[in-house]
Amino acid sequence: MPWTPKTTTPVLTKRIPCAPHGDPKNRHIVRYDEYVRTGGYEGLRKALTMAPDAVVAEVKDCGLRGRGGAGFPTGLKWTFLPKHDPANPQPRYLAINADESEPGTFKDRLLLDFDPHLLLEGIAIACYACRLTKAYIYIRGEYHHQAMVLEEAIKEAYAHGVFGPQGLLSGASNAGGEKWSVECHVHRGAGAYICGEETALLESLEGKRGWPRIKPPFPAVKGLFGRPTIINNVETLAHLPSIIENGKQWFLNQGVQGSAGTKLFGVSGHVNKPGLFEFDLGIPLSTLVNQYCGGMRHGKKFKGAIAGGISTGILGPDQFDAEMDFGIGPKYNVLGLGTACPTIFDEDTDMVVVARNLARFFKHESCGQCTPCREGSGWLYQLMTRIERGEGRTKDLDLALEISTSMGAMPGTTICGLADGNNWAVRTIINKYRDEFESRVRPTFVAVTVGAG
Amino acid sequence: MAWLTKNSGTAKIARRDEPYVTAAIKDHITRTYLPRYETKQGALLPTLHAVQEEWGWLPHQALIEVAEFLGLKPADVIDCASFYEEYWLRPKGEHIIWVCRSIACEVCDHKSILDACQAKLGIEPGETTDDGKFTLMEVECLGSCGTAPVALVDHTLHENLTAEKMIKAIDDAGRHGH
Ligand SMILES: Cc1cc2nc3c(=O)[nH]c(=O)nc-3n(C[C@H](O)[C@H](O)[C@H](O)COP(=O)(O)O)c2cc1C
Ligand code: SF4
Ligand code: FES
Repeated sequence: MPWTPKTTTPVLTKRIPCAPHGDPKNRHIVRYDEYVRTGGYEGLRKALTMAPDAVVAEVKDCGLRGRGGAGFPTGLKWTFLPKHDPANPQPRYLAINADESEPGTFKDRLLLDFDPHLLLEGIAIACYACRLTKAYIYIRGEYHHQAMVLEEAIKEAYAHGVFGPQGLLSGASNAGGEKWSVECHVHRGAGAYICGEETALLESLEGKRGWPRIKPPFPAVKGLFGRPTIINNVETLAHLPSIIENGKQWFLNQGVQGSAGTKLFGVSGHVNKPGLFEFDLGIPLSTLVNQYCGGMRHGKKFKGAIAGGISTGILGPDQFDAEMDFGIGPKYNVLGLGTACPTIFDEDTDMVVVARNLARFFKHESCGQCTPCREGSGWLYQLMTRIERGEGRTKDLDLALEISTSMGAMPGTTICGLADGNNWAVRTIINKYRDEFESRVRPTFVAVTVGAG
Repeated sequence: MAWLTKNSGTAKIARRDEPYVTAAIKDHITRTYLPRYETKQGALLPTLHAVQEEWGWLPHQALIEVAEFLGLKPADVIDCASFYEEYWLRPKGEHIIWVCRSIACEVCDHKSILDACQAKLGIEPGETTDDGKFTLMEVECLGSCGTAPVALVDHTLHENLTAEKMIKAIDDAGRHGH
């Protein structure tokens, strides 16, 4: 049965032309005036008429799940915060994850590039609902241009009273019972993938090396500078204005069961028209590629695809029709939906090269705190390099699988999820393309001269 | 490999009289960044960015000055600065070319781009040309996989690269200065 979109008007990309609704050539930076003229900050205005707890409940009930990779229910995360005590106000923080460094992923960039106020409105709503006082947008160092666009937008937002000491929206009356003011700043990273991990991000915000923290305590209880902190991805927050404006049922009607809403999909690799698209969750990968990306490049055959950022692992040749939603993990033997930015490979792709590339990434980015990750990532890279050069042995394949399964798969043996991402990336490639690896290695045998009798 | 230990214990630290953390930098950080964070250390990354923006890299003396300015131990500053790949603890070229080597770029022929850079500049990744003009680096995903292969020349991203376009971007950077 052909897939038909439920949502026919773009939500996150309402002001950012994307195929098939608009021509990417017409993209431009949406400034404050245009944003407001096109319905911007109406979600925040409505949120202020609701009690903060009601906003949290709305987000919880709408089924929004985090767009940063782990897919954790956003409203539920918010409920882990301790209660705000008006008699004894303490700083409480929002850290916005704009570190976007997972190879294959280029979705948050689109929002930062062209519609920064959408993020800022989402930030204001989250801060109002969760009683947070200060927001830091942690943006990767390489996004120079995006940091500048954000700084400009924040300046505009302050000038128009969105942020600042006078209270949200120039101190407009709100149902929260007290004036709520929010400060918002950009914090630039300096080139470290691991700072996308939420607790490493907090360390980096505190001016330290990006070493993930042992949990518990969870950031909602003890996060940035020891205060209650919520960490959310850019795209997650960008969903809030439309959810508040249109209500939970509107959001639940999009996507599929368990994966409500639309999602940004960034397709890269061997397709005719790679790019960024917004569709309901649940769109089959083959539809995305054949219908919207102009099909496979040079009419070649599909060989595989990284599901959504390299940590998620690979979809094999027979998994082209995989539905892109949060159920993808168990159904297709990958880690999960990740960032929903698939990289597509055609029939000419050398999967050993792919495995070596991913292994090198993790070796390079491991922060080195945990032995299984620090050592395992190095060994896997060495093994993959050896096999690529044709110097591997059959037993190296088993060794690689043994190493990867002992990295992160056992809960509690590593501090963060990087090791498990490494495991899924390398293991699923070896398993799903085993024959390709086997034909590249020499059998392990002992030459003996049989002397019978 | 942020976790590799760097040689430090026996290193001689070059010193000069003129400070790296200038009055202008101190003023800028004090007014704009210190009020943003609960601790002074919170302003460390912005301070390092500002110092590097001014001098192109972070000499040891600069790190010690940053420590004094923010009331930190030099070890805290070096610990942080040496962890992040965008901080240069050694001098680099006037321009940096960062060629993406992650998966989408590698399967879209990043090699031809890197080869073009190497042939044009006569250096390997990680090296700087003798005239100090260019440093060539390989980096992981630049977040622009849909337009692979890509490279960052200083602060400008170049997309859908071919060898010719890469060489032109290098020429342009060389002509225009920063
Ligand atoms: C190694 C590692 C890298 C990560 N990188 C990112 C990233 O670049 N951007 C992001 O939003 N989340 C990243 N995450 C996920 C975050 O830890 C966190 O789950 C997320 O930001 C929460 O936001 P969300 O609930 O809105 O998705 C990473 C996780 C790990 C383990
Ligand atoms: S799992 Fe790897 S990246 Fe994560 S904390 Fe441990 S060593 Fe660092
Ligand atoms: S893989 Fe090169 S930009 Fe993402």
